[in-house]
Amino acid sequence: MRHPTDGTLRRLLDEPAGVADADREHVAGCPVCLSGLAAAQEDAELTAAALSVEFAADVDTGWRRLSRAVAAEGRAGPATAAPARRWRAALRNPVVAVFGVVILLTGAGAAAAADWLQIFRTEQITPVTAPRADLIKMPELSAFGEVEVIEDIDIRKVADAAAARKATGLSVPRVGALPRGVTGEPTYHVLGRVSGVFTFSAAKSAQTAAAAGKTAPPPPPGLDGSRFRLVAGPGLAAVWSEGRPMPALMVARAVAPTAYSAGVPFATARDYLLSLQVLPENVASQLRSFSGDGTTLPLFQSVEQLTTSTAEVGGVPATVLTSQGGTMAGVVWADGGVVTAVAGSLSADEVLSVARGLRWDR
Amino acid sequence: MARRAERKDGVVVLSPPGRGAVRADLEQVFRTSYPKVVAVAARVLGTRDEAEDVAQEVFLAFGRSSVPAGEALGWLSVAAAHTALNHLRSGRRRASREEAADGGDAACPDVADAVVTLDERRRVRAALARLPRRQAVALVLRHGGLSYAEVAAALDLSPGSVGTIVRRAESALRKELNRHAPSD
Repeated sequence: MRHPTDGTLRRLLDEPAGVADADREHVAGCPVCLSGLAAAQEDAELTAAALSVEFAADVDTGWRRLSRAVAAEGRAGPATAAPARRWRAALRNPVVAVFGVVILLTGAGAAAAADWLQIFRTEQITPVTAPRADLIKMPELSAFGEVEVIEDIDIRKVADAAAARKATGLSVPRVGALPRGVTGEPTYHVLGRVSGVFTFSAAKSAQTAAAAGKTAPPPPPGLDGSRFRLVAGPGLAAVWSEGRPMPALMVARAVAPTAYSAGVPFATARDYLLSLQVLPENVASQLRSFSGDGTTLPLFQSVEQLTTSTAEVGGVPATVLTSQGGTMAGVVWADGGVVTAVAGSLSADEVLSVARGLRWDR
Repeated sequence: MARRAERKDGVVVLSPPGRGAVRADLEQVFRTSYPKVVAVAARVLGTRDEAEDVAQEVFLAFGRSSVPAGEALGWLSVAAAHTALNHLRSGRRRASREEAADGGDAACPDVADAVVTLDERRRVRAALARLPRRQAVALVLRHGGLSYAEVAAALDLSPGSVGTIVRRAESALRKELNRHAPSD
């Protein structure tokens, strides 16, 4: 008969009962196999010695620790529940809410129209960097009027790439080669469309200016009470977390933010907001340098936490973000009204390599 | 891991929406599987503190998942092996903590012995990190105390091929250790 495989010889050492009788009998009388068995035993013993540890796990102590961690997590609140609160919380978050203000500030070239008219569309992303203290001082969108949520934030997990694609209508990125240390299959999450209507209030704006020690000039005719609609999403994300709380790699795509106007010319609102002088000057000056066609989405970065650089992904300019400690990196770019981001506990080179190797399921 | 479960019943099993939902059988699974999960992580990391940290991390993720109870040990062990190997590769080892822990270890009465032990542990970890990931995972699962049938179920292999992959891994580990022996 043929010699049993190396794998069978190896199992013979650990679990002889798991090996067929015929194989056992063959090995007992075969010098070739006995020699193979001896070699396997030598390697197995060396490995066992190299990997040995001398302690026993303490189950009770471990369970108490896990119970505390589970309880602490419960107190922190579900991450994906209560979407209404999250959307409002997001608007209260200075860095996120500023997006709203800035969409108003950077959108331009719109004409007055009876219907919603698209006045801002993300075609590129440009970092705006400022000290964290300045970003925190940035006013929230609600400082200039009323914000009404139309479509709330809704993030949920889906079974697979096909489900993510079906839910969002977006093509799903496929990663060519995973970076070293990232393994397993991703989980897929989808974000529904998010939208809200912002109604400009001259009175609120005047209050905000007054709180900043400025005097608001009289608003141009028709601006008070005019409405703007902000829309973003849907989006999807593939997350490689391999049983870890912090993802090793995440690839996300979303329909980029767009703004619509239903009243006065958009430039009127923008010029008026800038005239209030409530934005930190270094932020305002970076925003003024944006092109006037309403296609540049600012990406706010605190200079203390992230460094930014530029690169190119698939012929499109991209922004590379690296955390100061170098433990995390991300790259984000906009193409055809869709924003794509690749981020993780990786180096900038690794995220760029993943970004450049992405393929799309059509 | 997730892939296996998804193939099996066509639904997502890794984690239900919302981090708040903790599975009811968590304590039962913890009490039966914790020693083996720590043992698997310890085969990679070599120290109790780090192995327990990894085990806590994977049980926390498991608590939010809907992995079938019958697949729990395999899922947890594979997650622990990958997480521990990722710690090696990303260099997020807490060397100072490890040395502090070893300094107080009565098993190493002699400073010279302790230094030798630490050095060997580093060599073993470096060698493990260089093995193909699949071999390394199978190796630490088996040496962590999982049976051939358990390793086979966890890695979606036949029990016969577990012996093959473990044998290859042991041979590769020996070569790695010899290649980087201290006398070099």
